[in-house]
Amino acid sequence: MTVASNVKQCLVTIKGIESQLSSLAFNSLDQEAKAAFHDTALTIGTIKKDLQYRILELERQEPQYKGS
Amino acid sequence: MPGWVFIITRSLLFLLLLFITTKILGKKQISELSFFEYVAGITIGSIAGEVVTGLEGNLYHGSLAIIVFGLVTYLVNFLSIHSKKFSDFTEGKGTVIIRDGKILEDNLKKERYTIDEISTLLRQKNIFNVADVEFAVLEPRGNLSALLKKENRPLTPKDVGMKMANEKEPQTIIMDGAIMDEALRWAGKGRDWLYTELEKLGVTLDNVFLGQVNSYGDLTVDLYDDKIQVPQPQQRPLLLASLKKTQADLELFSLATECEKSKAMYKKNAALLQETINKLEPYLNG
Amino acid sequence: MTVGTQVKQTLAGLKSAQAAFETFALQTENKSAKKLYQQAAKETQSIIDNVEPRLQDITAEEPQYNQ
Repeated sequence: MTVASNVKQCLVTIKGIESQLSSLAFNSLDQEAKAAFHDTALTIGTIKKDLQYRILELERQEPQYKGS
Repeated sequence: MPGWVFIITRSLLFLLLLFITTKILGKKQISELSFFEYVAGITIGSIAGEVVTGLEGNLYHGSLAIIVFGLVTYLVNFLSIHSKKFSDFTEGKGTVIIRDGKILEDNLKKERYTIDEISTLLRQKNIFNVADVEFAVLEPRGNLSALLKKENRPLTPKDVGMKMANEKEPQTIIMDGAIMDEALRWAGKGRDWLYTELEKLGVTLDNVFLGQVNSYGDLTVDLYDDKIQVPQPQQRPLLLASLKKTQADLELFSLATECEKSKAMYKKNAALLQETINKLEPYLNG
Repeated sequence: MTVGTQVKQTLAGLKSAQAAFETFALQTENKSAKKLYQQAAKETQSIIDNVEPRLQDITAEEPQYNQ
């Protein structure tokens, strides 16, 4: 496994986490829990953006990893 | 009119009257009855018994007596609610028996309780050592309320500085294979949601004996067929595990990369994720 | 690579493994496998808890590597 594919895998997990948090925020009844899930989903969103950017960089630097 | 018809009609009439009286007087437990309620309850019952079977008695006199007793009790209740003094007079006040960990002998004497009786009441609360008690009150109804010293109280999550998530009551949304629409609305869900969740569990509605949804929107079901295994909802613990995994992975990336800029980026996000984990842990555990 | 980073890397790897064990434990239906994974997660956690203070010592000893 290459660095890029590792980071990609991590990105996939992050995306999954983000969507699960969003659905928990939607489904929870307790206001506090709802807010916590919502806030953290946003935080995860920023991490996701950083990783996406990093993957683009890696692909530019090491074009052989592209699409792996 | 033959005697038995007489008794049947009177019984039905008085059942109705008693039902209405008790309905008006509220739903207190026998042990919680105040003096007035206690006396009125007994008297109303015996008057009714007397009138129903006493063929020679007058129906209206009996009914009148019941209504008077009911009315007076209702009035006393009404006044007790609106006047503290009045309720102290009719229902009595609690007497402090232990203060600052010391037994107040004078108050004990006033209530005509012996130390043995107090010990018994304490033992019923699993308190065997009087020295453990900070404060105890003998309530008007004769039971004892005791506050233990802080060090002897059960440990709560708050004591150990643990943050616990607040939980709403679970809603029962399926009973006997039928959807409870009102509870479903309380849970903020619709039928569509329910059918999707059931499909996820791989069960059909008519096989579900009991279905409950907790405050996180997790559906748990009990099936008619106890042989079928239903997966427990574990989305949240799984989510916590994958958060932890991602956090560790980001740390690994930050150590592995040569590029200073992305090292900082990974480091920042790993820290951010750790914060997120700390924040979510109370909600995702269990 | 300094000792500090190596220990850090190992620790992060352990954390990742610990979380992976937890995931496996939650995902498997098999009771004994579940127990095994749970045990493994617990043991890994205790190793992490043991090593973490050491990392602090190292970073205190070699402040120049602390970044």
